[in-house]
Amino acid sequence: MNEVSCRSCGTCVLVEKFSPQHTSVQWSRSAMRACTELSRPGTHAHTCTALRESIDAAVQSGQLSVSTRDVDVRTRGRTVA
Amino acid sequence: MNSDSEVRVIDAGAPPTRFARGWHCLGLADSFRDGTPHTVAAFGTELVVFAGEDGTLNVLNAYCPHMGGNLADGTVKGDSLACPFHDWRWNGKGKCTGIPYARRVPPLARTKAWPTLEQNKQLFVWNDPENKQPPADITIPRIAAAFDDEWTDWTWNSMIVEANCREVVDNVVDMAHFFYVHYGFPTFFKNVFEGHIASQYMTSISREDMMGETAKALGGKNTLHSEASYYGPSYMIDYLRSDSADLSVEGYLINCHYPITENRFVLQYGAIAKKPQGVSPERAEQIAASFVGGLGKGFEQDAAIWKRKSRINNPLLCEEDGPVYQLRRWYEQFYTDVADISEEMTARFEFEVDTTRAVTAWEAEVAENLAKRAEQAVAG
Repeated sequence: MNEVSCRSCGTCVLVEKFSPQHTSVQWSRSAMRACTELSRPGTHAHTCTALRESIDAAVQSGQLSVSTRDVDVRTRGRTVA
Repeated sequence: MNSDSEVRVIDAGAPPTRFARGWHCLGLADSFRDGTPHTVAAFGTELVVFAGEDGTLNVLNAYCPHMGGNLADGTVKGDSLACPFHDWRWNGKGKCTGIPYARRVPPLARTKAWPTLEQNKQLFVWNDPENKQPPADITIPRIAAAFDDEWTDWTWNSMIVEANCREVVDNVVDMAHFFYVHYGFPTFFKNVFEGHIASQYMTSISREDMMGETAKALGGKNTLHSEASYYGPSYMIDYLRSDSADLSVEGYLINCHYPITENRFVLQYGAIAKKPQGVSPERAEQIAASFVGGLGKGFEQDAAIWKRKSRINNPLLCEEDGPVYQLRRWYEQFYTDVADISEEMTARFEFEVDTTRAVTAWEAEVAENLAKRAEQAVAG
Protein backbone atom coordinates (compact mmCIF):
# COMPACT_ATOMS: atom_id res chain seq x y z
CA MET A 1 0.00 0.00 0.00
CA ASN A 2 1.22 3.52 -0.78
CA GLU A 3 1.07 6.65 1.33
CA VAL A 4 -1.21 9.43 0.14
CA SER A 5 -1.60 12.77 1.90
CA CYS A 6 -4.82 14.73 1.73
CA ARG A 7 -4.33 18.00 -0.18
CA SER A 8 -6.87 19.66 2.07
CA CYS A 9 -5.54 18.91 5.56
CA GLY A 10 -2.39 16.82 5.11
CA THR A 11 -3.74 13.70 6.83
CA CYS A 12 -1.82 10.70 5.57
CA VAL A 13 -3.37 7.30 4.77
CA LEU A 14 -2.36 4.14 2.90
CA VAL A 15 -3.99 3.52 -0.47
CA GLU A 16 -4.08 0.57 -2.85
CA LYS A 17 -5.77 0.18 -6.22
CA PHE A 18 -6.28 -3.07 -8.05
CA SER A 19 -7.89 -1.25 -10.99
CA PRO A 20 -8.96 2.27 -11.93
CA GLN A 21 -12.42 1.57 -10.45
CA HIS A 22 -11.16 0.09 -7.19
CA THR A 23 -9.76 1.91 -4.13
CA SER A 24 -8.71 0.60 -0.71
CA VAL A 25 -7.95 3.11 2.05
CA GLN A 26 -6.29 2.10 5.30
CA TRP A 27 -6.63 4.68 8.07
CA SER A 28 -4.67 4.79 11.32
CA ARG A 29 -6.08 6.08 14.60
CA SER A 30 -4.11 9.29 14.30
CA ALA A 31 -5.28 9.81 10.70
CA MET A 32 -8.90 9.33 11.79
CA ARG A 33 -8.48 11.97 14.48
CA ALA A 34 -6.72 14.38 12.11
CA CYS A 35 -9.18 14.18 9.22
CA THR A 36 -11.37 17.29 9.34
CA GLU A 37 -14.20 15.74 7.30
CA LEU A 38 -14.43 12.37 9.10
CA SER A 39 -14.49 13.91 12.56
CA ARG A 40 -17.69 15.77 11.67
CA PRO A 41 -20.72 13.69 12.76
CA GLY A 42 -22.77 12.06 10.00
CA THR A 43 -20.03 11.80 7.37
CA HIS A 44 -18.78 8.41 8.46
CA ALA A 45 -20.84 6.49 5.95
CA HIS A 46 -18.55 6.39 2.94
CA THR A 47 -15.41 8.43 2.74
CA CYS A 48 -13.73 11.79 3.03
CA THR A 49 -14.33 13.56 -0.29
CA ALA A 50 -11.21 15.73 -0.02
CA LEU A 51 -9.10 12.64 0.47
CA ARG A 52 -10.78 10.89 -2.45
CA GLU A 53 -9.89 13.82 -4.70
CA SER A 54 -6.31 13.68 -3.45
CA ILE A 55 -6.16 10.00 -4.29
CA ASP A 56 -7.51 10.64 -7.80
CA ALA A 57 -4.92 13.38 -8.26
CA ALA A 58 -2.16 11.01 -7.14
CA VAL A 59 -3.33 8.46 -9.73
CA GLN A 60 -3.49 11.06 -12.50
CA SER A 61 -0.02 12.36 -11.73
CA GLY A 62 1.36 8.82 -11.83
CA GLN A 63 2.30 8.92 -8.14
CA LEU A 64 -0.06 6.04 -7.42
CA SER A 65 -0.39 3.11 -9.81
CA VAL A 66 -2.50 -0.02 -10.03
CA SER A 67 -1.20 -3.12 -8.22
CA THR A 68 -2.26 -6.76 -8.15
CA ARG A 69 -3.56 -9.15 -5.52
CA ASP A 70 -0.46 -11.34 -5.65
CA VAL A 71 1.02 -9.86 -2.48
CA ASP A 72 -2.19 -10.62 -0.56
CA VAL A 73 -2.31 -14.11 -1.86
CA ARG A 74 1.38 -14.91 -1.37
CA THR A 75 1.99 -13.34 2.03
CA ARG A 76 -1.23 -13.05 4.02
CA GLY A 77 -2.49 -16.08 2.18
CA ARG A 78 -0.24 -18.48 4.04
CA THR A 79 -2.28 -18.77 7.19
CA VAL A 80 -4.75 -16.46 8.83
CA ALA A 81 -5.13 -16.79 12.60
CA MET B 1 9.94 -26.05 -9.62
CA ASN B 2 8.48 -22.85 -11.02
CA SER B 3 5.44 -21.13 -9.51
CA ASP B 4 3.22 -22.19 -12.44
CA SER B 5 3.19 -25.79 -11.22
CA GLU B 6 2.69 -25.03 -7.50
CA VAL B 7 -0.70 -26.22 -6.37
CA ARG B 8 -2.52 -24.07 -3.85
CA VAL B 9 -3.59 -26.13 -0.84
CA ILE B 10 -6.46 -25.05 1.35
CA ASP B 11 -5.48 -24.34 4.94
CA ALA B 12 -8.67 -25.21 6.78
CA GLY B 13 -7.15 -24.79 10.24
CA ALA B 14 -9.39 -25.37 13.22
CA PRO B 15 -12.12 -23.01 14.37
CA PRO B 16 -11.33 -21.04 17.53
CA THR B 17 -12.28 -22.72 20.80
CA ARG B 18 -13.61 -19.51 22.31
CA PHE B 19 -16.80 -17.75 21.23
CA ALA B 20 -17.15 -14.14 20.13
CA ARG B 21 -17.44 -11.42 22.73
CA GLY B 22 -20.50 -9.29 22.07
CA TRP B 23 -24.27 -8.98 21.95
CA HIS B 24 -26.04 -11.94 20.36
CA CYS B 25 -29.71 -11.90 19.40
CA LEU B 26 -31.69 -14.89 20.71
CA GLY B 27 -34.94 -14.02 18.97
CA LEU B 28 -38.06 -11.90 19.30
CA ALA B 29 -38.45 -10.80 22.90
CA ASP B 30 -42.13 -11.67 23.19
CA SER B 31 -41.50 -15.24 22.09
CA PHE B 32 -39.90 -15.77 25.51
CA ARG B 33 -42.80 -14.23 27.43
CA ASP B 34 -45.24 -17.14 27.58
CA GLY B 35 -44.69 -17.68 31.32
CA THR B 36 -42.45 -20.74 30.91
CA PRO B 37 -38.65 -21.09 30.87
CA HIS B 38 -36.93 -21.71 27.50
CA THR B 39 -33.82 -23.70 26.64
CA VAL B 40 -31.20 -22.07 24.45
CA ALA B 41 -28.16 -24.16 23.47
CA ALA B 42 -25.43 -21.58 22.85
CA PHE B 43 -21.72 -20.80 23.43
CA GLY B 44 -20.94 -24.46 23.99
CA THR B 45 -23.34 -24.68 26.92
CA GLU B 46 -27.03 -24.51 27.77
CA LEU B 47 -28.87 -21.40 28.84
CA VAL B 48 -32.33 -20.84 30.22
CA VAL B 49 -34.38 -17.76 29.31
CA PHE B 50 -37.40 -16.82 31.44
CA ALA B 51 -39.58 -13.83 32.12
CA GLY B 52 -40.24 -13.03 35.77
CA GLU B 53 -43.60 -11.79 37.01
CA ASP B 54 -42.28 -8.26 36.48
CA GLY B 55 -41.89 -8.99 32.74
CA THR B 56 -38.10 -8.70 32.70
CA LEU B 57 -36.36 -11.29 30.55
CA ASN B 58 -33.51 -13.09 32.28
CA VAL B 59 -30.83 -15.49 31.09
CA LEU B 60 -29.08 -17.93 33.43
CA ASN B 61 -26.90 -20.98 33.05
CA ALA B 62 -29.37 -23.84 32.55
CA TYR B 63 -27.81 -26.27 35.02
CA CYS B 64 -28.61 -25.65 38.67
CA PRO B 65 -25.42 -25.47 40.74
CA HIS B 66 -27.10 -27.52 43.48
CA MET B 67 -27.28 -30.95 41.82
CA GLY B 68 -27.24 -30.09 38.11
CA GLY B 69 -30.97 -30.07 37.43
CA ASN B 70 -32.06 -28.32 34.23
CA LEU B 71 -33.79 -25.06 35.12
CA ALA B 72 -35.41 -24.94 31.68
CA ASP B 73 -37.72 -27.72 32.89
CA GLY B 74 -38.61 -25.71 35.98
CA THR B 75 -41.35 -23.25 36.83
CA VAL B 76 -41.44 -19.48 37.07
CA LYS B 77 -42.44 -18.51 40.61
CA GLY B 78 -42.71 -14.76 41.12
CA ASP B 79 -39.60 -13.16 39.69
CA SER B 80 -37.57 -16.33 40.18
CA LEU B 81 -37.17 -19.63 38.38
CA ALA B 82 -37.65 -22.78 40.46
CA CYS B 83 -35.55 -25.82 39.66
CA PRO B 84 -37.62 -28.95 38.86
CA PHE B 85 -35.26 -31.14 40.91
CA HIS B 86 -35.45 -29.62 44.43
CA ASP B 87 -37.31 -26.32 43.95
CA TRP B 88 -34.29 -24.06 44.55
CA ARG B 89 -35.29 -20.53 43.44
CA TRP B 90 -33.04 -18.40 41.21
CA ASN B 91 -33.61 -14.77 40.27
CA GLY B 92 -32.48 -12.82 37.19
CA LYS B 93 -29.26 -11.77 38.92
CA GLY B 94 -28.30 -15.40 39.48
CA LYS B 95 -28.93 -15.18 43.23
CA CYS B 96 -30.65 -18.00 45.06
CA THR B 97 -33.73 -16.40 46.59
CA GLY B 98 -34.97 -19.41 48.50
CA ILE B 99 -34.83 -23.13 49.18
CA PRO B 100 -38.25 -24.10 50.55
CA TYR B 101 -37.01 -27.15 52.49
CA ALA B 102 -33.84 -25.53 53.89
CA ARG B 103 -33.20 -23.42 56.97
CA ARG B 104 -31.00 -21.04 55.04
CA VAL B 105 -29.57 -20.42 51.58
CA PRO B 106 -25.85 -21.30 51.49
CA PRO B 107 -23.73 -18.13 51.07
CA LEU B 108 -22.07 -19.50 47.92
CA ALA B 109 -25.41 -20.06 46.19
CA ARG B 110 -24.92 -18.08 43.01
CA THR B 111 -25.28 -19.07 39.37
CA LYS B 112 -24.25 -17.18 36.25
CA ALA B 113 -26.65 -14.50 35.08
CA TRP B 114 -25.91 -13.41 31.52
CA PRO B 115 -26.30 -9.66 30.77
CA THR B 116 -29.36 -9.02 28.61
CA LEU B 117 -30.64 -6.23 26.41
CA GLU B 118 -33.97 -5.67 24.71
CA GLN B 119 -33.88 -3.62 21.54
CA ASN B 120 -36.03 -3.55 18.39
CA LYS B 121 -38.44 -5.98 20.12
CA GLN B 122 -35.61 -8.54 20.19
CA LEU B 123 -33.74 -10.14 23.08
CA PHE B 124 -29.94 -10.00 23.23
CA VAL B 125 -27.47 -11.75 25.50
CA TRP B 126 -23.87 -10.64 26.10
CA ASN B 127 -21.19 -13.29 25.78
CA ASP B 128 -17.72 -12.63 27.16
CA PRO B 129 -15.04 -15.26 27.91
CA GLU B 130 -13.46 -12.64 30.21
CA ASN B 131 -16.79 -12.30 32.08
CA LYS B 132 -16.80 -8.51 32.11
CA GLN B 133 -19.93 -6.34 31.86
CA PRO B 134 -20.75 -4.92 28.42
CA PRO B 135 -19.29 -1.44 27.85
CA ALA B 136 -21.89 1.32 27.42
CA ASP B 137 -20.62 2.31 23.96
CA ILE B 138 -21.03 -1.22 22.56
CA THR B 139 -24.74 -1.57 22.00
CA ILE B 140 -27.43 -2.33 19.44
CA PRO B 141 -28.97 0.66 17.62
CA ARG B 142 -32.72 1.22 17.71
CA ILE B 143 -34.67 0.82 14.45
CA ALA B 144 -37.45 3.40 14.68
CA ALA B 145 -39.41 1.68 11.88
CA ALA B 146 -39.90 -1.39 14.11
CA PHE B 147 -42.21 0.74 16.25
CA ASP B 148 -44.00 2.50 13.37
CA ASP B 149 -47.52 1.51 12.26
CA GLU B 150 -46.66 2.25 8.63
CA TRP B 151 -44.37 -0.78 8.72
CA THR B 152 -45.25 -4.46 9.03
CA ASP B 153 -44.28 -6.45 12.12
CA TRP B 154 -41.17 -8.64 12.25
CA THR B 155 -41.27 -11.95 10.49
CA TRP B 156 -38.78 -14.30 12.12
CA ASN B 157 -37.09 -17.46 10.92
CA SER B 158 -34.49 -19.70 12.42
CA MET B 159 -32.23 -22.34 10.93
CA ILE B 160 -29.36 -24.44 12.22
CA VAL B 161 -26.23 -24.39 10.08
CA GLU B 162 -23.57 -27.09 10.42
CA ALA B 163 -20.57 -24.78 10.02
CA ASN B 164 -18.51 -22.30 11.99
CA CYS B 165 -20.28 -18.94 12.28
CA ARG B 166 -17.42 -17.07 10.57
CA GLU B 167 -18.90 -18.31 7.27
CA VAL B 168 -21.89 -16.01 7.56
CA VAL B 169 -19.76 -13.02 8.55
CA ASP B 170 -17.53 -13.56 5.45
CA ASN B 171 -20.62 -12.75 3.39
CA VAL B 172 -20.36 -9.04 4.15
CA VAL B 173 -17.42 -8.66 1.72
CA ASP B 174 -18.70 -11.07 -0.90
CA MET B 175 -19.81 -9.00 -3.87
CA ALA B 176 -19.52 -11.71 -6.50
CA HIS B 177 -21.94 -14.14 -4.86
CA PHE B 178 -24.77 -11.64 -5.32
CA PHE B 179 -24.66 -12.44 -9.03
CA TYR B 180 -24.47 -16.22 -8.76
CA VAL B 181 -26.49 -16.90 -5.61
CA HIS B 182 -28.91 -13.96 -5.34
CA TYR B 183 -29.28 -13.06 -9.03
CA GLY B 184 -28.31 -9.41 -8.80
CA PHE B 185 -25.65 -7.25 -10.58
CA PRO B 186 -23.81 -5.04 -8.08
CA THR B 187 -23.07 -1.70 -9.73
CA PHE B 188 -21.65 -0.14 -6.54
CA PHE B 189 -20.11 -2.06 -3.65
CA LYS B 190 -18.25 -0.72 -0.65
CA ASN B 191 -17.07 -2.07 2.70
CA VAL B 192 -16.08 0.08 5.68
CA PHE B 193 -14.70 -1.50 8.86
CA GLU B 194 -14.21 0.65 11.94
CA GLY B 195 -14.27 -0.11 15.65
CA HIS B 196 -16.82 -2.83 16.33
CA ILE B 197 -18.84 -2.06 13.18
CA ALA B 198 -18.44 -3.63 9.74
CA SER B 199 -20.54 -2.20 6.90
CA GLN B 200 -21.49 -2.96 3.34
CA TYR B 201 -23.00 -0.44 0.94
CA MET B 202 -24.34 -1.81 -2.30
CA THR B 203 -26.43 -0.91 -5.32
CA SER B 204 -27.41 -3.76 -7.58
CA ILE B 205 -29.73 -4.29 -10.51
CA SER B 206 -31.76 -7.44 -11.08
CA ARG B 207 -30.44 -10.03 -13.56
CA GLU B 208 -32.66 -10.08 -16.65
CA ASP B 209 -32.03 -13.79 -17.28
CA MET B 210 -32.96 -14.96 -13.77
CA MET B 211 -36.02 -12.91 -12.85
CA GLY B 212 -37.48 -14.65 -9.82
CA GLU B 213 -40.89 -14.36 -8.17
CA THR B 214 -39.69 -11.63 -5.83
CA ALA B 215 -38.43 -9.50 -8.69
CA LYS B 216 -41.74 -9.94 -10.51
CA ALA B 217 -43.65 -9.03 -7.32
CA LEU B 218 -41.51 -5.91 -7.00
CA GLY B 219 -42.48 -4.69 -10.47
CA GLY B 220 -40.01 -6.49 -12.73
CA LYS B 221 -36.60 -4.98 -13.41
CA ASN B 222 -35.49 -3.23 -10.25
CA THR B 223 -32.56 -1.49 -8.59
CA LEU B 224 -31.75 -2.52 -5.05
CA HIS B 225 -30.00 -0.19 -2.61
CA SER B 226 -28.65 -1.88 0.49
CA GLU B 227 -26.91 -0.41 3.54
CA ALA B 228 -25.92 -3.10 5.99
CA SER B 229 -23.83 -3.09 9.15
CA TYR B 230 -22.73 -5.63 11.68
CA TYR B 231 -22.89 -4.05 15.13
CA GLY B 232 -20.51 -6.42 16.87
CA PRO B 233 -19.77 -9.97 15.74
CA SER B 234 -23.22 -11.33 15.11
CA TYR B 235 -26.08 -8.85 14.52
CA MET B 236 -26.55 -7.14 11.19
CA ILE B 237 -29.13 -4.51 10.30
CA ASP B 238 -29.67 -4.13 6.55
CA TYR B 239 -31.73 -1.24 5.23
CA LEU B 240 -33.03 -2.05 1.77
CA ARG B 241 -34.84 -0.07 -0.88
CA SER B 242 -35.99 -1.57 -4.15
CA ASP B 243 -36.94 0.79 -6.99
CA SER B 244 -38.71 -0.36 -10.11
CA ALA B 245 -40.60 1.54 -12.83
CA ASP B 246 -43.79 1.92 -10.80
CA LEU B 247 -43.03 0.71 -7.27
CA SER B 248 -40.62 1.56 -4.45
CA VAL B 249 -40.39 -0.79 -1.49
CA GLU B 250 -38.38 -0.18 1.69
CA GLY B 251 -37.46 -2.74 4.29
CA TYR B 252 -35.16 -3.65 7.13
CA LEU B 253 -33.63 -7.10 7.23
CA ILE B 254 -32.03 -8.48 10.36
CA ASN B 255 -29.40 -11.14 9.82
CA CYS B 256 -28.06 -12.51 13.09
CA HIS B 257 -26.62 -15.67 14.56
CA TYR B 258 -25.36 -17.26 17.72
CA PRO B 259 -22.98 -20.21 18.01
CA ILE B 260 -24.15 -23.50 19.48
CA THR B 261 -20.68 -25.05 19.20
CA GLU B 262 -17.56 -24.26 17.14
CA ASN B 263 -19.12 -26.11 14.20
CA ARG B 264 -22.76 -25.35 14.49
CA PHE B 265 -24.70 -22.14 14.78
CA VAL B 266 -28.23 -20.80 14.73
CA LEU B 267 -28.87 -18.37 11.89
CA GLN B 268 -31.91 -16.15 12.31
CA TYR B 269 -33.39 -13.58 10.01
CA GLY B 270 -36.39 -11.36 10.07
CA ALA B 271 -37.72 -8.42 8.17
CA ILE B 272 -40.14 -5.53 8.22
CA ALA B 273 -41.35 -3.63 5.18
CA LYS B 274 -42.95 -0.25 4.78
CA LYS B 275 -46.50 -0.58 3.51
CA PRO B 276 -46.36 1.11 0.09
CA GLN B 277 -48.47 4.24 -0.38
CA GLY B 278 -51.25 4.48 -2.94
CA VAL B 279 -52.19 0.78 -2.85
CA SER B 280 -54.93 -0.99 -0.88
CA PRO B 281 -54.00 -2.32 2.61
CA GLU B 282 -54.32 -5.89 1.32
CA ARG B 283 -52.04 -5.21 -1.64
CA ALA B 284 -49.58 -3.44 0.68
CA GLU B 285 -49.41 -6.51 2.95
CA GLN B 286 -48.94 -8.71 -0.11
CA ILE B 287 -46.04 -6.65 -1.43
CA ALA B 288 -44.43 -6.54 2.00
CA ALA B 289 -44.81 -10.31 2.35
CA SER B 290 -43.23 -10.95 -1.09
CA PHE B 291 -40.33 -8.68 -0.25
CA VAL B 292 -39.77 -10.47 3.02
CA GLY B 293 -40.29 -13.94 1.53
CA GLY B 294 -37.71 -13.22 -1.18
CA LEU B 295 -35.13 -12.31 1.45
CA GLY B 296 -35.70 -15.66 3.18
CA LYS B 297 -35.07 -17.54 -0.07
CA GLY B 298 -31.75 -15.71 -0.30
CA PHE B 299 -30.65 -17.12 3.05
CA GLU B 300 -31.64 -20.64 2.13
CA GLN B 301 -29.45 -20.26 -0.97
CA ASP B 302 -26.50 -19.04 1.13
CA ALA B 303 -26.91 -21.80 3.73
CA ALA B 304 -26.85 -24.47 1.03
CA ILE B 305 -23.32 -23.31 0.16
CA TRP B 306 -22.08 -23.01 3.76
CA LYS B 307 -23.24 -26.49 4.70
CA ARG B 308 -21.07 -28.06 2.01
CA LYS B 309 -17.99 -25.84 1.85
CA SER B 310 -14.64 -26.15 3.59
CA ARG B 311 -13.33 -23.70 6.13
CA ILE B 312 -10.48 -21.81 4.41
CA ASN B 313 -7.93 -19.64 6.19
CA ASN B 314 -5.90 -18.77 3.09
CA PRO B 315 -8.37 -17.73 0.39
CA LEU B 316 -6.88 -17.26 -3.06
CA LEU B 317 -8.31 -13.89 -4.09
CA CYS B 318 -8.53 -12.19 -7.47
CA GLU B 319 -8.52 -8.45 -8.03
CA GLU B 320 -12.31 -8.35 -8.20
CA ASP B 321 -12.84 -10.01 -4.81
CA GLY B 322 -13.68 -8.15 -1.63
CA PRO B 323 -11.44 -7.49 1.39
CA VAL B 324 -11.60 -10.92 2.99
CA TYR B 325 -8.35 -10.63 4.96
CA GLN B 326 -9.24 -7.21 6.34
CA LEU B 327 -12.71 -8.44 7.33
CA ARG B 328 -11.21 -11.36 9.21
CA ARG B 329 -8.77 -9.02 10.89
CA TRP B 330 -11.75 -6.89 12.07
CA TYR B 331 -13.61 -10.02 13.20
CA GLU B 332 -10.61 -11.23 15.19
CA GLN B 333 -11.14 -8.46 17.80
CA PHE B 334 -14.13 -10.40 19.15
CA TYR B 335 -11.93 -13.44 19.81
CA THR B 336 -9.19 -11.40 21.47
CA ASP B 337 -9.01 -10.29 25.09
CA VAL B 338 -9.92 -6.59 25.29
CA ALA B 339 -6.44 -5.57 26.49
CA ASP B 340 -4.85 -7.33 23.51
CA ILE B 341 -6.95 -5.79 20.72
CA SER B 342 -4.54 -4.27 18.19
CA GLU B 343 -5.02 -0.99 16.30
CA GLU B 344 -5.10 -3.05 13.07
CA MET B 345 -8.30 -4.76 14.14
CA THR B 346 -10.28 -1.57 14.76
CA ALA B 347 -8.72 1.16 12.60
CA ARG B 348 -10.93 2.34 9.76
CA PHE B 349 -10.54 0.46 6.50
CA GLU B 350 -12.40 1.27 3.28
CA PHE B 351 -12.68 -0.94 0.22
CA GLU B 352 -14.63 0.03 -2.85
CA VAL B 353 -14.68 -2.94 -5.26
CA ASP B 354 -14.26 -2.74 -9.02
CA THR B 355 -17.84 -3.47 -10.01
CA THR B 356 -17.68 -2.19 -13.54
CA ARG B 357 -15.06 -4.63 -14.76
CA ALA B 358 -16.64 -7.63 -13.00
CA VAL B 359 -20.08 -6.62 -14.26
CA THR B 360 -18.86 -6.57 -17.88
CA ALA B 361 -17.95 -10.26 -17.68
CA TRP B 362 -21.31 -11.04 -16.10
CA GLU B 363 -23.18 -8.99 -18.67
CA ALA B 364 -21.71 -11.32 -21.28
CA GLU B 365 -22.94 -14.37 -19.37
CA VAL B 366 -26.45 -12.94 -19.04
CA ALA B 367 -26.58 -12.02 -22.74
CA GLU B 368 -25.46 -15.54 -23.63
CA ASN B 369 -28.21 -17.10 -21.50
CA LEU B 370 -30.88 -14.86 -22.99
CA ALA B 371 -29.64 -15.68 -26.51
CA LYS B 372 -29.69 -19.45 -25.80
CA ARG B 373 -33.28 -19.23 -24.54
CA ALA B 374 -34.36 -17.25 -27.57
CA GLU B 375 -32.78 -19.94 -29.76
CA GLN B 376 -34.57 -22.73 -27.89
CA ALA B 377 -37.88 -20.88 -28.11
CA VAL B 378 -37.51 -20.62 -31.89
CA ALA B 379 -36.38 -24.28 -32.27
CA GLY B 380 -39.18 -25.65 -29.98
